[in-house]
Amino acid sequence: MSATLATQSLPGPAKNIEVARSLGSQRHRTNQIVKVLCVAATAIGLIFLASILSTLLIRGVGGISLTVFTTSTLPPGSQGGLLNAIIGSLIQTFIGAAIGTPIGLMVGTYLAEYAQQSKVGNAVRFVSDILLSAPSILIGLFVYQLVVTPFGGFSGIAGCIALAVIVIPIVVRTTEDMLRLIPATLREAVIGLGAPKWKMIVLICYRAAKEGIATGILLAVARVAGETAPLLFTSLGNLNWSTDLTKPLASLPVTIYQYAGSPFADWVQLAWVGALLITFGVLAINIGARLMLRRGK
Amino acid sequence: MQQAVAAPLPAAGKRSGNFGDKVFAGVAHASGYFVLALLGGIIVVLFMGGYKAFHQFGAFFLVSTEWEPVQEIFGAAVPIFGTVVTAILALLMAVPLAFGIAFYLTELAPMWFRRPVSTAIELLAAVPSIIYGMWGFFVVVPIMAEYIQPAVIDTIGELPLIGPLFQGPPFGTGILTAAFILAIMIIPFIAATMRDVFETVPAVYKESAYGVGCTTWEVMRSVVIPYTRASVVGGIMLGLGRALGETMAVTFVIGNTNRIATTLFGPGNTIASIVALEFPEAEAGSLKLSSLLALGFVLFVISFIVLAISRALLRPGAKS
Amino acid sequence: MSTTLTQSTQDNASFGGIQARATSTMNAARIAISNLDFFYGDHRALKGITLDLPDRQVTGMIGPSGCGKSTLLRVLNRMYDLYPGQRSTGQAMMDGMNIIDPGVDLNALRARIGMVFQKPTPFPMTIYENIAFGVKLHEKLSKAEMDERVEWSLTRGALWGEVKDRLHTSAMGLSGGQQQRLCIARTIAVRPEVILFDEPTSALDPISTLKIEELIDELKHDFTIAIVTHNMQQAARCADQVAFFYLGEMVECAPAAQIFTAPKEKRTQEYVTGRFG
Repeated sequence: MSATLATQSLPGPAKNIEVARSLGSQRHRTNQIVKVLCVAATAIGLIFLASILSTLLIRGVGGISLTVFTTSTLPPGSQGGLLNAIIGSLIQTFIGAAIGTPIGLMVGTYLAEYAQQSKVGNAVRFVSDILLSAPSILIGLFVYQLVVTPFGGFSGIAGCIALAVIVIPIVVRTTEDMLRLIPATLREAVIGLGAPKWKMIVLICYRAAKEGIATGILLAVARVAGETAPLLFTSLGNLNWSTDLTKPLASLPVTIYQYAGSPFADWVQLAWVGALLITFGVLAINIGARLMLRRGK
Repeated sequence: MQQAVAAPLPAAGKRSGNFGDKVFAGVAHASGYFVLALLGGIIVVLFMGGYKAFHQFGAFFLVSTEWEPVQEIFGAAVPIFGTVVTAILALLMAVPLAFGIAFYLTELAPMWFRRPVSTAIELLAAVPSIIYGMWGFFVVVPIMAEYIQPAVIDTIGELPLIGPLFQGPPFGTGILTAAFILAIMIIPFIAATMRDVFETVPAVYKESAYGVGCTTWEVMRSVVIPYTRASVVGGIMLGLGRALGETMAVTFVIGNTNRIATTLFGPGNTIASIVALEFPEAEAGSLKLSSLLALGFVLFVISFIVLAISRALLRPGAKS
Repeated sequence: MSTTLTQSTQDNASFGGIQARATSTMNAARIAISNLDFFYGDHRALKGITLDLPDRQVTGMIGPSGCGKSTLLRVLNRMYDLYPGQRSTGQAMMDGMNIIDPGVDLNALRARIGMVFQKPTPFPMTIYENIAFGVKLHEKLSKAEMDERVEWSLTRGALWGEVKDRLHTSAMGLSGGQQQRLCIARTIAVRPEVILFDEPTSALDPISTLKIEELIDELKHDFTIAIVTHNMQQAARCADQVAFFYLGEMVECAPAAQIFTAPKEKRTQEYVTGRFG
C-alpha cells in the first residue's frame, strides 16, 4: 500500500503502516509457531510407528527359528513353535474372507447399481457404515450367542463366521465406491449393445473396478488377520495341533494374547515372534493393496 | 459381406436376459436386507443375552459400581465410566496431533513427501490392536512408571485443583496410559478424515484468502476449518467410536480393577476389557454371562449413537 | 464425397460455404416417429415429434444445446429406461412394433438399434473381446465364426488394418479416434439395422473426425443411420436429410441441400446461418 494513497483516501494516517508492520510480524510469528507444531505432530506420529516396528524387530527377530514354523505350541520350557496358530489364523482368515467377500460384493453392488436413491438403500448404507466401525468384540459376543451356545461349544467355524461379519462392511464400502466411479457412458455403451443389466455389472463393471474391489478385499483380509477380540469368544484358541473346524481352533492373535501375558520367558519370546509375523504380514498386505489401487488408476 | 447385415429378429414374446436379471437383482436385494438383518440380529441377540441381568437388576445395573461375582451382584457403572473417560481423554490427546498431521499433510509438506507420510500414518491404523497392547505393556508402561508419572506427580501433581488428578503410585498402568494408547490408535482415523475433508475445500477459497495477505495458519483457521467444520467433528466422532470399543490394547495396560479411579494414574477397566477378561470365567446360562452380554449391549448403544452422529456429519450429501 | 452440390450463390456468405449433398429422394421409413413426447419427470423435453428415418440413409439432427435432439436418440433405443422418472409417449414404429411400448424386449431392441456415443467407450478388455462381447450377447458362434465376425466388423469399422496385429492387446491402448472406430465396429458386429450416432466426433481431432465421417458415408449402404451433431458442416457432409430441433420441437426436416440453402422456417435459417445457438 503506498503512503500517498493512504494519506489521500483513507481516514487512517500514515502511521497505520507501523501498526500493520508490527501486527504483520506478530502474525508471521504465530504462523511459524503453528507450522513448527504441525511438523512436530507429524514427527510424533511417525515416531510412534517407528517405535512399534523397531520394538517388534528388536524383540522378535531373535526368536525366529525353524521350530517356530514346524512345531505347534507346547508347554513352557519345551521348545514349542507357532505352527498351529499360524495355520489356524490362515484357515480362519481365508474362510472368513471367502464367506464375507461375496456377501459384501453383492451388498456393494446392490447399493451402487440398484438402490442409489431408495430409502432401503440409504438404510443399508447407514447400517453397513455402522458395522464398519462397530467394536469387534461385540461381533464376537454376537457370534458366541448365535453359533457357539446353540451348537455345542467353541469352534473354528464360529471364528470364521465372526471374521466374515467384519469383512462384509469393508468390502461393501470399497465395492460401492469403486462401482460408482464407473462413468455412466460406459454403462450406457454396454446396455446399448443389448446386454442385460446383470451382464453389464458382472462382465464390465466388475472388470473395470477390479483393482479397487481387490484392494478392498485385501484390506479386509489384513484387518481380520490381526483381530483378537472376536476370536476369544468363538474359536477360543487351541494349544494343540488341530485343523478341525468344529473344535476350538488356534490363531496367531489369540496365542499372542495368551503368551504375552504369561510369566514364562520362552512364551513371551514366542509372543513377540508372533507379533512380528502378524504385523509385518498385515502391513505388507496393506502396502500391496495400495500399490495395486495406484496401478489401477 | 452383405449377407452379414440382416439382424436376427427376436422371437416375439421372448425376453432375452430377463431371467438372469431377475436372479441377480434378487440376490443383490437379498444381500442388502441381509445387512439390515445382521445389525438387527446383533441388537436383538445382545439384548436377549443381557435380558436376565437387566431383569434382575433393572436400572440399578447402570448405576451400581459393584461387581461381585461371588455374591452375584453386577453393576455396570465402573466399566461405563472407564470406557467414557478413557475415550474422551484419548480424544483430548489425539485431536490436536491429528489436526497437526492433517494440516501438515494438506498445506505444509512438500508434494513428494505427502504420499509416504500419509501412507505411514495410515499404516498406524493397520497395526492390529493386540500389537498396541503388547507395545503399550512392554514399552510404554515402563517409561510411564519410571519417567513420566514421577515427573508429573512432582510438578502438575502439586498444583491446586487439578493436582489431585495426577497423584498416586506410579505403576505405569492405569486410565491415562490406556487413553494414551487409544489416542495413538485413533490418530490415523481422525487425521485421514481431516486430511480428506481439508482437501475438499475449493482452491479458489484458499487463494482468495491468500490474496488478501493471510498466512497459511490464518487461511486454515478462517477458511478451511469453517468450511469443513461439520466433517471435522464427524471425523473426531469416528475416532471416538473406535476408542469406545477398543479391547485388546486397553486390556493390557488399564490395570483391570473394578473401581472408579480418583486419579488418572489409577487403574480401572472398560466395558470391552472386562468382557474380554471375565468372559472365560462366565459359565453358560449364568447371571454373570448375562451381565457381560448386557454390558455388550450398553457398549453397542453408546457406539451406535456416536457412530450415527459421525456418519450424519461426514455424509451430509449422501444423497447426491 | 461424390455427390455434393455447391449451393446457389446468392446466400454464399451467410451460409458459410456449407456444401450439402444433393440427394433429394428419400427411401421408405425404417423407423416412423409420430407424435412422440418425452418427459424428464414433469418436464416435457420432446413435444409431438413426427419424423421418418429413411431406410439406408443418414438423418442428421441439429439444433442448439438442450433442444432435444440427443433425447430423441436415447428414446429410439430406450436408453432412458435406465433412469427412473423418465418416460415417453407416442409412437416410434419399426416393423409394426412400437419401440416405446413397455412390452418391448429391450435387449433385442438394442441389438437391432445400435448406438455410438459422444466419447469413445472401449471396454476394459482386449480389442478382440470388445467386439466379441456384443456378439456373444445375442448369438452363439464357433471360434472360427467369431474370428470371421471380428475381422468383418473391424474391416467395416475401418480399423482392421491398424489393429490386426494386436487384436489381443487392451483396447485402452488405442488412440481416441481408433477407440471410437472400435466402438463403431463393436456396434456393427451385433449386426443392427439402425445405428444412432450421438455427436460421435465431438471428442476427436479433425483427422479422426474425417475418418469417422467417411465411415458413416460407407456404412449407410447397409445401415439406417441417425446422427446428432453440433457441427453443421458435418450434418451437411454426412446427412441425406436433416432435422432441425429447437426447444423440444422438431422445427423442420428436409433434404440436406434444402435445409442449408432454402429452409422453410425462419428459425432454421437463423440457426444454420449462425445467428443463434
